[in-house]
Amino acid sequence: MRRTNRKTNDVILQTTVQTVFFIIVIYSVHLFFSGHYTPGGGFIGGLMTSSAIVLLLLAFDVKTAASILPVNYLYVTAFGLLAAIGTGIGSLLYGMPFLKHWHGPVHIPFLGEIELATATLFDFGVYLVVVGVTMTIIQTIGETE
Amino acid sequence: MAIQILLNFLIACIWMFLQSDTSTAAFLTGYFLGLLIIFAMRRAFSRRYYVYNIFAAFSLLAIFIKELLLANLSVLKVVLAPKIKASPGIFAYETNLEKPWEITVLSNLITLTPGTLVVEVSDDNKILYIHAMDMDDADKAREDIRNSFEKAIMEVSR
Repeated sequence: MRRTNRKTNDVILQTTVQTVFFIIVIYSVHLFFSGHYTPGGGFIGGLMTSSAIVLLLLAFDVKTAASILPVNYLYVTAFGLLAAIGTGIGSLLYGMPFLKHWHGPVHIPFLGEIELATATLFDFGVYLVVVGVTMTIIQTIGETE
Repeated sequence: MAIQILLNFLIACIWMFLQSDTSTAAFLTGYFLGLLIIFAMRRAFSRRYYVYNIFAAFSLLAIFIKELLLANLSVLKVVLAPKIKASPGIFAYETNLEKPWEITVLSNLITLTPGTLVVEVSDDNKILYIHAMDMDDADKAREDIRNSFEKAIMEVSR
């Protein structure tokens, strides 16, 4: 069968993606923050976020998705690695061993006392690296003709 | 419609600050008062009073649930029938809806209802190509779609 490049009308797919995208993204953020006490964490959260972006890529084309999210994913990966290393070096400043993490109650205006842990920052680094690497792989493969 | 909802939220928030009470009860009181104020001022807006649209959305949901049940019952009938009498085919349906979300909702509703399935939308978003389980009912299906779904969706977006 000859392959035709006729573009079909994707109105149903595109409109659905426009609403579903936000649900997936907020779910991925929920997964990211639930990692400490319940199943979830930076890895699965990052994968879920990049799956939302992949859905954008599927519904629209590579150029449109790049104009919606003008992000260089290589920088995202680098920044994630920096965040992870930064939390490790931060403990050195306090005379603790490398990657020694701290947690404790912090008073935040409007929210009150909240238990915060620096492990979350490390997890955020993991999150960014996963998003960056997944999107770099998919974009690189997608752009080659 | 969105403007009216935002305005109603704003009125509820102003009410909470005036009362120096940030509880849910104060918010609901302010929201109710806002509903009354917006109803009194409804002629000042270009769209109609938004509570009608909310009722229309709920009636669309009710239609959807009803049609979903009927659809599965009718499919059950076809599956359990000893002989397949249906003659499948594809027919075109011209829609009066314009916005992309209306077309999406309409085609999802058509897909989930008895014996019909949206195959393709034409490039100008005017014609839906629908696969019917039984072509003898095509005209009836067309009428049903126009009278129930399309009307209900128009009512929501009006």
